[in-house]
Amino acid sequence: MTSLPGTRRLLATWAILMGLTLVSMVSARLDADAWQALPLWSAALVLLATGFKAQRLLMVYLNLRMATPAWKGAFVGLVTLTLALIGAGYLVARLA
Amino acid sequence: MREHRLPNPGWGPLSALPGNPLMWVLILSELLVFMAFFALYAAERAAQVALFDASQQELDPLMGGLNTLVLLTSGLCVALAVEASAASRLRRARRWLAAAMGLGALFGVIKVLEYASKFAVGITPDTNTFFGFYYGLTAFHFAHVLFGLALLGLVTWRTSLENVETAAAFWHMVDLIWILLYPLLYLLR
Repeated sequence: MTSLPGTRRLLATWAILMGLTLVSMVSARLDADAWQALPLWSAALVLLATGFKAQRLLMVYLNLRMATPAWKGAFVGLVTLTLALIGAGYLVARLA
Repeated sequence: MREHRLPNPGWGPLSALPGNPLMWVLILSELLVFMAFFALYAAERAAQVALFDASQQELDPLMGGLNTLVLLTSGLCVALAVEASAASRLRRARRWLAAAMGLGALFGVIKVLEYASKFAVGITPDTNTFFGFYYGLTAFHFAHVLFGLALLGLVTWRTSLENVETAAAFWHMVDLIWILLYPLLYLLR
């Protein structure tokens, strides 16, 4: 049987995921009264927080930390590529 | 890594993955499908900036954020159900699975309320390209949530470590896709 993350690690990961979700929401300035485009640093922070959340979910919730470095790299690489696509699309639209 | 220490010996390159190897094939293929849709969205957004900006204002990012918190908490419950199953505490595992399903259902209720508020003001998938993507991507994800709920229900009935681990992997994939979808549609403006 694969070694599981354990309750303590799961709870710590959940707290990190909750915190990063709130960081994303604050970075996206959801408290602002009027709609406005995000400053680029805010958008970058949203993407970074999302990337870290996805990495934690893969490694702990999905227990990918038990896999070989090749598989870990493949999945983290795929998520990074997805976020790069999202970021590039956003950047092109913002700078247009 | 030596063959006998791999989580799934005999599965070739998939041997090194934890849980059911076929679920990882599904996770990989789903990620690729969603990545293709995200790329299409990015291209359309770059081509129709004003329309996407105006349409995005109609979404409620707080509802999306709330749904993210709900789904991630549901993921925790499923992970705890796997831990309980591994310790042969099947009653506890069922309780965690029930909590996960309850939160999954709450995600669905919030999503339906969100759809209803859009339809009430005449915003449908045909409204424009942005809302085509919004409804298309979120409904496709929602279909995965419903399938995941059915899967969790099934393993609550037939509880074993292997079954719970397999359903949990699917549920975490649903989580993962939502994590990527949320900033794309709601936050990056």
